[in-house]
Amino acid sequence: MYTQRNDEIVTGTGLELLIERAKSDDTDAFGKLYDMYVDRIYRHVYYRVGNAADSEDLTQEVFMKAWQAIGRYRITDTPFLAWLMRISHNLIVDSYRKKKRDESYLDDDSWIIDSAPTPEEAAELGYDRRRLRRAILRLHGDQQQVLIMHFIEGFTYTEIASSLGKKEGAVRVIQHRALTRLRQILEKEKDVR
Amino acid sequence: MKKIADILALCLEDIASGRSTLEDCLEKYASLRQQLEPLLKIALSIEAPGDIKPSAAFKVRTRAHLLEEIHARRAKAKWWQTGFVAGAQRTVRFRWSRAAAIVVAVLLAVSAIGGGTAYASQDSLPGDVMYPVKLGTENVRLMLTADDASRVRLKLAFAGTRLQEMEALADMGSDKISVAISGYQHNMKAAFVETEQLEGEDASASLSETVALAVSCHLPILCRIEDKAPEEDGEAIERAQEMIGERQISVLRILAGKNPVRATEIKLDVMQHWLERADVALTEAKIGGGEMALGQFVALCECGNEIAQCAHGSKDGFNSIDEMNMQCTSNHLAMLGAIYKKVPADMKESVERAMRLSAEGYCRASSSLLAAGMCHNLPEKPQLSDDIPVKVRERILDNLPCETTLPEETPGSNGPGGGGSAPNGQLNESQQSGYAPWDVPPPCPSSAPGQHEV
Repeated sequence: MYTQRNDEIVTGTGLELLIERAKSDDTDAFGKLYDMYVDRIYRHVYYRVGNAADSEDLTQEVFMKAWQAIGRYRITDTPFLAWLMRISHNLIVDSYRKKKRDESYLDDDSWIIDSAPTPEEAAELGYDRRRLRRAILRLHGDQQQVLIMHFIEGFTYTEIASSLGKKEGAVRVIQHRALTRLRQILEKEKDVR
Repeated sequence: MKKIADILALCLEDIASGRSTLEDCLEKYASLRQQLEPLLKIALSIEAPGDIKPSAAFKVRTRAHLLEEIHARRAKAKWWQTGFVAGAQRTVRFRWSRAAAIVVAVLLAVSAIGGGTAYASQDSLPGDVMYPVKLGTENVRLMLTADDASRVRLKLAFAGTRLQEMEALADMGSDKISVAISGYQHNMKAAFVETEQLEGEDASASLSETVALAVSCHLPILCRIEDKAPEEDGEAIERAQEMIGERQISVLRILAGKNPVRATEIKLDVMQHWLERADVALTEAKIGGGEMALGQFVALCECGNEIAQCAHGSKDGFNSIDEMNMQCTSNHLAMLGAIYKKVPADMKESVERAMRLSAEGYCRASSSLLAAGMCHNLPEKPQLSDDIPVKVRERILDNLPCETTLPEETPGSNGPGGGGSAPNGQLNESQQSGYAPWDVPPPCPSSAPGQHEV
């Protein structure tokens, strides 16, 4: 649990400067922001949609939307990566809507690679990554986003709160509800088996 | 007193930072143990996926495409601002802004006649100063085209322009090919999406045929460019081929609903292309390219069954479809036999599957012709190359849906020996030679303005 955040390649004023340049229509600066964040956004999208083709399309769209909206981005409000994640979330939700009830993405387990827990670890914890991912993707809206941003992407509650436009306390409540719901989904799944 | 949501968050933070363990936390909040324990365990099980990264080719391509789009939008915005209404680009859908666009376009056209900027930009390539102007001109043309079908045709034309740029850049050894590849994919994707959206409308038959034919024409050109482009661009071009190949199937399905004979002709033509491509790739030990081409062939085999069903449903032209399928499948099987010999052991199963699907299609067509009282002089069962091991041949031919008996002749039926449209027999010779090219490939459309410019 908890991914180490390593997005601060360009920190503080360096990052701010790049963002300010991008806001003043500097494509080179935006290209640098793209280079910094494309891997993280792709990975986030891939976790949620489960296949390379859709992940590539959506990642491209995220940066196109980001360019269109960067004039409205305010550095003090929310970290840049969290802002990009919010754009990703909205696009993914739209894409789900377009696909309506197509849930094939839930079954795509190709993202599971060698670092999956050993059978002993899985047995001890009772959940494996495949089942957990499936269950997380069954959560709705903010619940899914809070769990992914916190546990997968390593954001703090403050950052998540600013990204979602909520208070920190509300984010903790959403997290509690999300984990409770996740438990219900996993228990139900166990019963069916 | 703290809420359970806050306690849960606190515990998670303490455990993550190593300040306490799961057990420490549960002891500290013993009264909440029952509620906290399962939630904490679930939370601690959530892990980030492993080392998932986009491919380098994707990153380069997307970066190029983003910057290309940004330049194009900027160029467009500048034109708008030189018109009557500053900022009109955000509201182009309104009538007044469309009128403004027409005025701007007229100004542009006048400028072009006088050897102006827009005209001068038309020969530019990615990386040239004038290239954004060229893209901007295309955007204006799209904006001024209200008819959906015409927009699709324009996008195909722009995709054709990107192909020309790709080839010119590959010949120059430029490092900007990815920009043109990205633009090509962008236009083709848009053409596919809009064609799919028009399904059911009057224009959909001719439009789906135009788009499907454009793919057939573009594929050999893309192969040619792939062969001379640097390796990284080559991969991106291969993915572009894969994308248009996959999307062509959905367009063929639309066409099959209106004109199954034409859909079959195009499908068989492109199947031939994929087999030739697989053969070349595998001869050059390009396993990835061979696999991709073979995968596309298999997908078209599967789509072929649907097209045949469309034809049988419409009672229109199904005999000629069955005949075409049988003739071409004989060639496909001969080519697959040659490919089978070249592929590494782990790919033989894929080739076997392709042969099995082809053989099934052959049998279905043969049975259908016989059931309709039509005769043909091709073997009733598909013939496989002697180079294929006996066991594999047995597996492929086992339980095929081949009907080997003719129905009884009824008065007026077009039975065996009657006036059925028997093929000319050349294909039996072709089969023996193993590599006969398909006799009459459907022609590519002429490069009329507004259609494929390549």
